[in-house]
Amino acid sequence: MQTDSLAFLRLLQLADSALPIGATAHSFGLETLAAEGLLRVEQLETFLHDYLEETGMLESIFCRLAYRLAAQPETFADRWLALNEQLSAYKTARESRVASATLGRRFLQLVAGLEQQPRIQQALHLSKEARGDIHYSTAFGMVGSILEVAEAATMLAHLQQVLVGLVSACQRLLPLGQSQASGIVWRLKPTILATIDRSAAVPLDADDIPVFTPLLDLASMRHPTLTTRLFIS
Amino acid sequence: MNKQLQASKVRGSLRLAFHYDDQQTRMKVCEQQPPLKVVRAFALPEGGALVHLHNLSGGVLGGDELSMHVEVGSLAYVQLTSASATRLYRRQTGAAAAAQTNAIQVREGGLLEYLPDPLIPFAGSSYRQHTHIELAHDAGLFWWETVAPGRTARGELFQYEHLQLGLRISAQGRPLAIECLKLEPQHHALSSPARLGPYSYFCSFYICRVGLTPERWPDLERELDALAQELSRPGEISWGVSTLTAHGLLVRALSCQGRDITTGLLAFWQAAKLALYGKDAIPPRKVY
Repeated sequence: MQTDSLAFLRLLQLADSALPIGATAHSFGLETLAAEGLLRVEQLETFLHDYLEETGMLESIFCRLAYRLAAQPETFADRWLALNEQLSAYKTARESRVASATLGRRFLQLVAGLEQQPRIQQALHLSKEARGDIHYSTAFGMVGSILEVAEAATMLAHLQQVLVGLVSACQRLLPLGQSQASGIVWRLKPTILATIDRSAAVPLDADDIPVFTPLLDLASMRHPTLTTRLFIS
Repeated sequence: MNKQLQASKVRGSLRLAFHYDDQQTRMKVCEQQPPLKVVRAFALPEGGALVHLHNLSGGVLGGDELSMHVEVGSLAYVQLTSASATRLYRRQTGAAAAAQTNAIQVREGGLLEYLPDPLIPFAGSSYRQHTHIELAHDAGLFWWETVAPGRTARGELFQYEHLQLGLRISAQGRPLAIECLKLEPQHHALSSPARLGPYSYFCSFYICRVGLTPERWPDLERELDALAQELSRPGEISWGVSTLTAHGLLVRALSCQGRDITTGLLAFWQAAKLALYGKDAIPPRKVY
């Protein structure tokens, strides 16, 4: 994979879990699963594998759609809001939807402060005016395109960051050691590759993307009722 | 596909239009192609109409292509239910997957309550369904769907080949909810903690009324959430409630028993109907 060196360094920074956008405050329903005994350490790798196959696939497709949209100035304004609305409609669990939108907006605001790019300002402006969501995956895809990172590298970095974020949350929720956590992330890299490959084969009409994670959706819905919470979502 | 299978393939369709006239919702059957059929509309209080949807085949057979169009006119109040559970039969070797498309429009001030019995995919069945619901201003929707794992009484769980269910709800052109699930239990374990975990039945219940002030939905979410807590029993059934991106909310359940879901859905419907319309929910006349 040929990636411009500066773009590669920027990608490393943007896909770092230490990026100050508040990602560590969200579990996307994992906290409920752990609290209700529905997710144990020995199930975690299988869970994350299946999560990547389902939600990872959905997010990757939207990341790719945003990446390509960013290179189409003539249709960007019309389609940016619709793209995020579409993803919001897929995210029927409110807390997870709001978490994704919070991270996406902060991500874009952070990059806007680092790099003067009219398209990023335009995206922020459009979404603010319409009170629309900006999701993390669409923000990441758009920024990758604008910074001229290769499409495949952007997709991979995005999904890797999603995975690392979930594993990090699990380290605070479950008796999961650092070495175990690293091992899980390491072993799931082929799943990330396979998910990106499969997402590339899906027609980009975004109307018919299969995703089935009802237990996790339900966990996200039930999260506000937990008596003790470490995470916002 | 061989000639015998082609000959047995049916294209059923149902096109219903409801309009509100002289204090009563009236049904017009614009098209009715077997095996889909309706017999009559029963009058409901408040000028509503209750219609039972029949499938004369007793279920959906492999290769069937079915379509249903429903238009709920301005101010009309319609309740649709099934005569019994929708059985998805085993697909014969060489037959195509069965498919059904549903196109639903609810006009300004109209209300649709879609309250079918569960979908039961038999071993070896293959089925695709896509539903598109368009809601106008002040249109209301109570729409539930429950999916069973199979014929549980004979120990048949997740032995179907392929089950694809798509749903898109839009209001004035804006998508409110999109669901698309594609289940192939032989290839992707549904018992994964990312999917169904220890549960085997699942349901979605969409509750919408377009144009209400956005603050009403979090309030209703909190109210229904209390009911969800009351009805949930760890390891048996779990309920959750969530506000959609606009104009509605979703109640979801996962359960080990189908009957528990039916009881809960009626309770959520009752509470939401009262909150949104100030009226009682009137369950269709049948045995639950």
